[in-house]
Amino acid sequence: MNTFKALLEREYWEHRGAFLKTPLIIGIVFIVVLLLGYITTERFDQVLTNGQTIEIGGQTLETTDPKFIKLGLDAFMLTTASLYHIVLFIVLFFFLLGSLYDDRKDGSILFWKSLPVSDFQTVLSKLLTAIFFAPLIFTACLIISHLAFFIVLSLLLLLNGVNPFTVLWANIDLINWGAFFIGCLVQALWALPVYGWLLLASSYSKRRPFLLAVFVPMMVGLIWYWYNAIFNYNLMKIGIFKTIGYFMAKSIQPFTSGLSFDAESFDFDATQQTNVELIKSMFNGLSDPIVYYGIIFAVIAIALAIYVRRYRNTT
Amino acid sequence: MSHILSAQNVNKKFGNFQALKNVNINIDKGKIVGLIGPNGAGKTTLLKSVLGLDSCDGELKVLGIDPFKKRADLMKEICFIADVAVLPKWIKVSQVLKFTEQTHPNFSLEQAKQFLSRTKIKMDHKVKELSKGMTAQLHLAIVMSINAKLLVLDEPTLGLDILFRKQFYDNLLNDYFDNERTIIITTHQVEEIEHILTDVVFIREGEIVLDANMDELTSSYFEVMVSQENYEEALSHKPLTMRKVFGKHIMLFNSTSRDVIETLGEVQRPSVSDLFVALMQEEQA
Repeated sequence: MNTFKALLEREYWEHRGAFLKTPLIIGIVFIVVLLLGYITTERFDQVLTNGQTIEIGGQTLETTDPKFIKLGLDAFMLTTASLYHIVLFIVLFFFLLGSLYDDRKDGSILFWKSLPVSDFQTVLSKLLTAIFFAPLIFTACLIISHLAFFIVLSLLLLLNGVNPFTVLWANIDLINWGAFFIGCLVQALWALPVYGWLLLASSYSKRRPFLLAVFVPMMVGLIWYWYNAIFNYNLMKIGIFKTIGYFMAKSIQPFTSGLSFDAESFDFDATQQTNVELIKSMFNGLSDPIVYYGIIFAVIAIALAIYVRRYRNTT
Repeated sequence: MSHILSAQNVNKKFGNFQALKNVNINIDKGKIVGLIGPNGAGKTTLLKSVLGLDSCDGELKVLGIDPFKKRADLMKEICFIADVAVLPKWIKVSQVLKFTEQTHPNFSLEQAKQFLSRTKIKMDHKVKELSKGMTAQLHLAIVMSINAKLLVLDEPTLGLDILFRKQFYDNLLNDYFDNERTIIITTHQVEEIEHILTDVVFIREGEIVLDANMDELTSSYFEVMVSQENYEEALSHKPLTMRKVFGKHIMLFNSTSRDVIETLGEVQRPSVSDLFVALMQEEQA
């Protein structure tokens, strides 16, 4: 008897492909790109400079100040990490959209509801999967992908007589992985209103949760815009679109969520931020009160999703 | 708590459509009740309310619990199969057993494995790899391994072939049912379950038109094969229905005593399905 653990495990069983395979496949793509790049360079190098470029390059690496190598590695690890943030958001978007709809569509809700699990627990397990467990799996997969990438890179370095331990492994900063996981949690906070809305759409929808989730906000935004345009002659008031865009931008790219949104106060230079500063910046971003309005919206949406779930049994 | 299920003046409306009209029914421990009605009569609506899947007006208690308010609590004590093949397609047999074990306090994994060992179902099969009949077997194995006070089966064998259907009810009767348990079944294949029922409930347009145990039925409804010479006399006793087979008239009577009826011809126990048809027509007339 361990209901909540079982519910979370259930989500993993059902969505193993999205949560586990997607990030690993991206990791494999990195390695393939690395190998293709290396082979291409190597071929041209043989023809054009008799293999000297790569040889000199290797020697240069060994004499380069580790500070710069570390900077390059940080940049590599953080940019790939931010790609994982985007992918995680997309994966969760579709996960949540189907989470309270798919079992109604195939009738299996009648089995789930025959077990002593309340609708509150069910909905909460989906939310917790989205805000914590999927990010945890993604973090593990990012680490595995990075390590696999570095192992392949080490072999290439060895092949060219470069010591991978001094050049590569000594300069890997583990904080980058911490930054990714913290980024995931910051992402979850920013994305909470989106997640709540998706849960509600998934719970409420009778046929196409996607249309409900995407077009209803669009229509509301459009009507709001028209209203202001026609009655107040204000063509610049995009209110709802701006709010949605704000949350979406922050939740798709949590690494930049601490930066100001307006063009006037744009203060971003990626090369000037170390990973520790990046983490601090993300925490600073959370002082924006709009985060908490978003959380209030999310709580209401999730409560409604639970309420609707009690009545909806099949589509 | 005397009744397993008690409903008093239960009503359910969908907009202007009254799906359940003043349903009053009590079901006691140790019964196997067949809930029988034509399509759209309100069977599923009633069962949904009983299972806490939908709200209703009136006083409805299952094991003393309000089903809609406390569905999760209720499900510890009852279980149901609400349609054929509703097990999720993506899940593995071992996973569905593990999930049930972790969420259900009265589920015995050992027992479920024992039931499954008699079938062709393997632990690493996914549900989508099983045939419809095997999925029903799996679901039945899960349900039979739950020590529940009430089991509700809503069309559990729809679309299965006759071999599976027979085996399904055999398993249910031999390996599951005892006097401590109660079963409610709805199905269109009345003939196949009538020999296992202790009680029948007929429902029509949201109303209960008959609620009786099988003994009462056989002592008050008679099917008689009337020969030509007794035809006129038989008609005067107002048969509920009449059909003609091989030149003889088969009539169905509702009567308090068997004596008069016996003089008309050979008396048989009517089948539940014939009785059902008769009562449905009587209501309409």
